[in-house]
Amino acid sequence: MTLRRRQFLKAAAVGAAAVPLLRTRARAQAKPVRIGYTLSATGPYAVGAGITQAPNYTLWQEQVNAKGGLAVKGEGRRMVEFVSIDDRSEIETAVRFYEKLATDDKVDLLLPPWGSAMNFAIAPVATKYGYPMIGPTAISGKFKELALPYFYTMLVQPAPQMQAVAAMLKDLRDQGKIKKAAVAYVNDLFGIELNTATGPAFKAAGLEVVDTKSYPLGAKDLSPVLRGFKDAGADVFIGLTYPPDNILATTQAKEVDWNPAVFFTGVGTAFPFYRDRFKGAEGVMGIAGWNPKVKFAGAKDYFDAHVKKHQKEPDRWASAFAYASLQILERCVGEIGLDRPKIKAMLDATEFQTVAGPIKFTKGENVATPGIVGQWQKNEFELLWPKSWATGAAVVPKPAWA
Amino acid sequence: MTLSPTLLLDVVVGGFTTGGIYALVALGLNLQYGLMRVLNVAHGEFLMLGAYVTFSLHTGWGVNPLLTLLITGPTAFAVGLVLHRLLYAPLLAGEAAESLESRSLLLSFGLMFVLQNAALLIWSADLKGYSYLAIPLRWLGTVFPANRVLAAAIALALGVAFYLYLRYSLTGKAVRALMQEPEGAQLVGIQTSRIHGLCFGAGIAMSAVTGSLVSMLFELTPFMGLPYTVTALVVVILGGLGNMLGCLLAGLLLGLVETAGVYLASSDIRLISSYAVLSLILILKPSGLFGR
Repeated sequence: MTLRRRQFLKAAAVGAAAVPLLRTRARAQAKPVRIGYTLSATGPYAVGAGITQAPNYTLWQEQVNAKGGLAVKGEGRRMVEFVSIDDRSEIETAVRFYEKLATDDKVDLLLPPWGSAMNFAIAPVATKYGYPMIGPTAISGKFKELALPYFYTMLVQPAPQMQAVAAMLKDLRDQGKIKKAAVAYVNDLFGIELNTATGPAFKAAGLEVVDTKSYPLGAKDLSPVLRGFKDAGADVFIGLTYPPDNILATTQAKEVDWNPAVFFTGVGTAFPFYRDRFKGAEGVMGIAGWNPKVKFAGAKDYFDAHVKKHQKEPDRWASAFAYASLQILERCVGEIGLDRPKIKAMLDATEFQTVAGPIKFTKGENVATPGIVGQWQKNEFELLWPKSWATGAAVVPKPAWA
Repeated sequence: MTLSPTLLLDVVVGGFTTGGIYALVALGLNLQYGLMRVLNVAHGEFLMLGAYVTFSLHTGWGVNPLLTLLITGPTAFAVGLVLHRLLYAPLLAGEAAESLESRSLLLSFGLMFVLQNAALLIWSADLKGYSYLAIPLRWLGTVFPANRVLAAAIALALGVAFYLYLRYSLTGKAVRALMQEPEGAQLVGIQTSRIHGLCFGAGIAMSAVTGSLVSMLFELTPFMGLPYTVTALVVVILGGLGNMLGCLLAGLLLGLVETAGVYLASSDIRLISSYAVLSLILILKPSGLFGR
């Protein structure tokens, strides 16, 4: 008995002595910076989230941790730890989890979910708890109206985007390469807003629009729409699409034997998947933001790192902006630490240099990036418009379908 | 828009191409539900799996998508037999009919999540697809996508063949007997559990084969199945529970109504028109168009 007691006392003494030791070691190995988010791994948003956002979050985390962690001003480097779940493409699940991240987990920073509708729901939560959040996949003029001080959008918003399309088409028309446009849009916030922006932009450019048609999300047959446009003699197709209907419209244009001089589609065209799906998709135009040929510092390295880690290329629109939003956060934390109101102040005041070019927020909207039009040419999505950003010249009329 | 002969032809052919697919996928669901009162919510997931298998065989090994029907169909049939033996047979044995429906519903919901996530792990959430016969087919002054016409023709042929099999073969008669009068059928010596297994397998095989056909037309995601389950349910209700001929006709009708709506009004009207038809039938003839 006594022996046991002695052993116990000895063990307890050793244990007690070890506690402060362990503590100091824990302190030396600073606790990680915890960053919370949800992304859709399942459900209808999983496609976009899996292409544009998730690979960039994990790439950035790996790169930062390989350097020994995220540099936090005054604290040295701290490892980055993600706290995240699959929101199953359910907005209410995402909202609940962000509430939990802010109030229960008390994470240091928040990253946004994927897609305009999701960001719409999360932006007020981020603002309520004072977390600055930079959304790389949120397009809607409504964000400006909501005026949520802690929410920032990276992508070019509907009006400037469609003005860029209109300006390029006007240029082509003046060269006598096109005459009449026809517009189809998906009946969802994204399509509706872009279509609303199209009317005035095309009118200002003096472009003739022979027909405008909407179709529902999840449409299974667009051939009536396309045939109508073909019969109306349109030689410019403007499809304000989401990825599934984008693929459908492209497939069916070929099936109904329609090859307009300009074939422009929305979300999905800039995905490498689209190029591979349509044997190069030579000559197809779409909304663009970036390609590995842009001259911004780190652009090519980013492309290579993305391919190396994920065995797939980043898309040519929002991927680089998703990565750039993390570069911006990294710089803010490095210069001012994890004080969120101060991060917000820096976001409001600074022009950032990123792989996606300069980014400057005015009232939460990135105003440094113009609306850009791209076109698949020999396996690269060349930027055509505006001229100052161009990496290639427009090929019009578009070559025959492969 | 004027109703020209060309437009009429567009609507009819378009309607049949959509409706043929609807009919085949609904036939499988109807077989399971009509016979066993097992509502398989995971029906569309087998369509999704069939589509992915065809996609993988075609893009990986260059197998002609039409030939893959010979693989997806029998495989799905075998899977159906096993699933029935492992999951549904114990459930069906000695349960009161009321609890059976709700339990089988829960079971198939579970199955749906398992299959969706399995597909997610294997094929990822990226959109997948391939082009097959994506060429214009010119006929009487108008153009049709060749692959759609072909897919619908095969779907309809399979549907009609299956109907004839049920109508004239001995097994088919046993199935119909079980549907009409379960106890009487058992009295004359029809083996309930064997027929149940066969029908469950056949239902799943039809869903998978439809999936193989659908893969020629649309992009695949692990979540593509559910809308087909819903459409199949609509068709089953339209045609009358357990009524196979009604199911075939209702599938075609739904396809026609949707296409007419799209051509004459706008694409936005597609869902509205199909649910309007469903509501009308439920109000005027709740047992279905061809229900007894």
